[in-house]
Amino acid sequence: MTSLIELTAVSKTFGSGADAVHAFGPVDLAIEDGEFISFLGPSGCGKSTLMLMIAGLLEVSEGDIRLAGQTVAGPRTDIGIMFQDNTLVPWRTVQGNIELQLEMRGMPVSKHGARIDMLLDSVHLKDFAERHPYELSGGMQQRAAFCQAMVHDPKTMLLDEPLGKLDAMTRESIRKDLQALWMQQRPTVVFVTHSIEEAVQLSSRVAVITPRPGRIEEVIPIDLPFPRDLDVKNSSEFARYVRDIQEIFRGYGVI
Amino acid sequence: MAMASSDRPGLFERTGAWVQRSWMFIAFFVGFFLFWEWSVELFDIPRYILTPPSLIVAKGWADIDRLIYYTYVTGLETVIGYVVALLVGLPLGLAISFSSILRRTIYPFFVCIEMVPKIAFAPLFISWLGFGLLPKVIIVFLVCFFPVVLNAILAFNSLSEELTRFCRSTGAGAWTTFFKIRLPAAMPQCFVGFKYAAINATVGAAIAEFIGSDEGLGFYIQIVTGNMRPDLAFAGIFFLTLLGLALFGCVTLAERLLIPWHISVRRSRP
Ligand SMILES: Nc1ncnc2c1ncn2[C@@H]1O[C@H](COP(=O)(O)OP(=O)(O)OP(=O)(O)O)[C@@H](O)[C@H]1O
Ligand SMILES: [Mg+2]
Repeated sequence: MTSLIELTAVSKTFGSGADAVHAFGPVDLAIEDGEFISFLGPSGCGKSTLMLMIAGLLEVSEGDIRLAGQTVAGPRTDIGIMFQDNTLVPWRTVQGNIELQLEMRGMPVSKHGARIDMLLDSVHLKDFAERHPYELSGGMQQRAAFCQAMVHDPKTMLLDEPLGKLDAMTRESIRKDLQALWMQQRPTVVFVTHSIEEAVQLSSRVAVITPRPGRIEEVIPIDLPFPRDLDVKNSSEFARYVRDIQEIFRGYGVI
Repeated sequence: MAMASSDRPGLFERTGAWVQRSWMFIAFFVGFFLFWEWSVELFDIPRYILTPPSLIVAKGWADIDRLIYYTYVTGLETVIGYVVALLVGLPLGLAISFSSILRRTIYPFFVCIEMVPKIAFAPLFISWLGFGLLPKVIIVFLVCFFPVVLNAILAFNSLSEELTRFCRSTGAGAWTTFFKIRLPAAMPQCFVGFKYAAINATVGAAIAEFIGSDEGLGFYIQIVTGNMRPDLAFAGIFFLTLLGLALFGCVTLAERLLIPWHISVRRSRP
């Protein structure tokens, strides 16, 4: 059986001639259906670039990306994508912003009322449904953006640092919810982060990306039981995964 | 918005708060006019050069019929020119921002014309078209048109990369994208142009009237100044200012109604 997402010799160069920036690759990677894979790497290594290429929003310079058996040759609408900067529009409320995703797709808003409520509830934003984004903190905006990205119930999710602006406590609680959601419904999740601990906690596999030009140094299967609650996080196996990955980045002089 | 109307302070409290915040400005304003009033006496300035504000009010009131009629005349020129500039400028700006051909032809042409002081065309238009309404409307139009077009082009071309990607990722069609994202996102920058044009509209009308007309506030100011009546000239200037403020006020009101969510509108709320 072929993998859900297959990258073959993918690389990305921005610009051309003397100004060309070789941002990423070449990279080979296969992502299986239903797995939770993290792209872990330092700032500027090309995580967002890679995610956008998988979504078909950025062209590959070389190589080939296949999603569900088809070569990605344009924007893919059969996935859910949460961008690094949130895509909430200031003229709509939180609820309206979530509905925007449905309206843009021509999906009936009225049929999704319950799902929107459920999503808002899961990120603890129910009381803020009628607020505008500028009335929310950065972390609350990010949680609203998560609902916006997921409301159409995609089976493949690309999340670009979705927990980046959250405080440590909220982050922990959202990780837990995200993990529960993943265990329950088994979507394929591509998760961009630069937190080693977060990657190890959430992922079935971690793709460790080197500094620019980004390459996948190693894909590490995380063989720990789910759910990865505090007990698992405090275990010595967990600490060993974190330490191994730290060693890789130390080798590159990143930390 | 979410605020219940009962939490909102009443008119009395709001006025009180405004006075508290702005008393220095009010004091300066009042002081300025008092100084003006007295300095005419104090420095023995001849009345045909400068008149005290009290006399401007008295003499202006005596001539109020003419002033009101001329305000109407100038107002009509201003409003027609302004509205036409909006009706033509906005769609044209939109077309230019979406068409690469127009962007390479008309756009650079407009940028060049923008450098030309449009008022310099006024004598030509008067000589071509006479003293009537049309040449003034055209000059107001020219003054307002360019800020509207250029800001509209800027507005429709500056959708953030992230939102552009969001639109593409949903697979939405061009119309849906336009009405749900591009148009509302462009409104704030469009209003920058609308406001700038509103400020300049009365200037265009007045200058056009200076050059050739037989009615209107610009005509009035020029005639009474020639007759050594600065009091009436100031009365005319006052009405011209009112006209400009009224137009600007309407645009600001429209902005508040259409884009209450925008930061420039939110900041200006108490
Ligand atoms: N449009 C662009 N034009 C030129 N270079 C670009 C462009 N977008 C990204 N780059 C370059 O590509 C590299 C990777 O960028 P990318 O945004 O993918 O990094 P990232 O891993 O997501 O970093 P961060 O964690 O800071 O978000 C960077 O070095 C950046 O300079
Ligand atoms: Mg990034």
